[in-house]
Amino acid sequence: MRNVFGRGFDSRRLHQSMMFSVRYRASGAAALLLVAVCLAAALPAAASDQRTIVIDPGHGGLDPGAKGKFGSVEKDIDLAISRKLKALIEQSQSYRVVLTRDKDVDVSLENRAAIANNNDALVFLSIHVNGSFRKKAQGSETFFMSLNATDEESRRLAYQENREQALDKTIAGADKDDIKMILWDMAQSAYIKQSGQLAELIQAQLNALLGTENRGIKQADFVVLRGVACPAVLVEAAFISNPEEEQKLVDEAFQDNVAQAVYTGLMRFLAAYGKN
Amino acid sequence: MKKPRPILFVLLLAVLAALVFWFVRGFAPERIAGPGEAPSSAASPETPVPKVTMKATLFFLRDDDGMFIAETRDVPSTGSLGADAEAVLAELIKGSTGGLVSALPSETKLRQVFLTKDGTAYADFTKDLTAAHPSGSDAETATVYAIVDTLAFNFKAIKKVFILVDGEERETLNGHITLGRAFFPDFTLIAKS
Repeated sequence: MRNVFGRGFDSRRLHQSMMFSVRYRASGAAALLLVAVCLAAALPAAASDQRTIVIDPGHGGLDPGAKGKFGSVEKDIDLAISRKLKALIEQSQSYRVVLTRDKDVDVSLENRAAIANNNDALVFLSIHVNGSFRKKAQGSETFFMSLNATDEESRRLAYQENREQALDKTIAGADKDDIKMILWDMAQSAYIKQSGQLAELIQAQLNALLGTENRGIKQADFVVLRGVACPAVLVEAAFISNPEEEQKLVDEAFQDNVAQAVYTGLMRFLAAYGKN
Repeated sequence: MKKPRPILFVLLLAVLAALVFWFVRGFAPERIAGPGEAPSSAASPETPVPKVTMKATLFFLRDDDGMFIAETRDVPSTGSLGADAEAVLAELIKGSTGGLVSALPSETKLRQVFLTKDGTAYADFTKDLTAAHPSGSDAETATVYAIVDTLAFNFKAIKKVFILVDGEERETLNGHITLGRAFFPDFTLIAKS
């Protein structure tokens, strides 16, 4: 019997060569495994160097959002625009993009903010279309958070600001949670300024690219913007409750323009104000 | 010893009884009607209760630009702040008589308004307020401030308004604006006429 190499069959040599090849394979496999483990360890580190942008398509699932006269539903348009925006940002390959939902499902407002925080988001962008009691209402606007504190809250904040220096030394353990909340509120104030800058840049692009009425940037106490630990805005692209604008909103080209406008505004913000 | 005369004894008793009677009747306050009862005609002469009204200012949306426009209406007033606030909101819910757009769904029903000493009015609506709401940042903001501005404008004692639905605090009106706190009025939303 001849083996593959044309040599005579020698069972001992065959056994030896098999053992050799087994050992060879084993060490080869070990080497590969080592490389794989190193890669796996290295990859998350590489990913975390890439900063994350979180996009939040409004509403979803049992919550349709606003509805149009011609039957269109806000949640679908929010998702469509968000997906386009994600694609645009990913083209640059500088940022990782996470959607708070990538299909037609309910997501609580709390969870949307949590996704941003858990991903250490650079920026949070909530994408909506507007609804009004007035058929004539039209145009685009961008919202950011307002700290419209009630009397008690502003008094407490002011008091704590004055005592800031002594905080660490004098506050007992039981009060630390209160203090954390107050410090959280103060951090939110810092983000609000940046959110305003982001809103301005995005609104300028919406005005330039969409041809819609400029409703400007506004502050509002929107729950979805509250819990987010980074600059955050809510974009209202146009009014689905206005039949004319509804037609635009379902048009692919218009949706592309909305995504482009938000993308350009976002990039200008990141270029100007850097990474946090 | 003289034998006591029975007639004197009876007279004494009668005098005592009379004294007791006058004492009890004379110093006791006149019986005032209890809760729910009409005052007895014996206590006071029958007078008709005058119908009191107050002039209420209600805010509706101008279709062109979304500014609040004031409409004034006479609303029954009992003098009790809570009841009057309820009457004013009931009128707001009825809608505009001047062709303006209402910032509340027509299905809206008010359950109650109650007030706390710090000037917060709690306006409690049925679930129709949110279930029938068109949704949208613009629509939600309009609803909140139509309610808050109307109450704060009409009643000096009302400094801020907390909106409740079915007696409970809600996270948002319809996904955007928080309902987890009281709102101060924003009179800049009212058109200058």
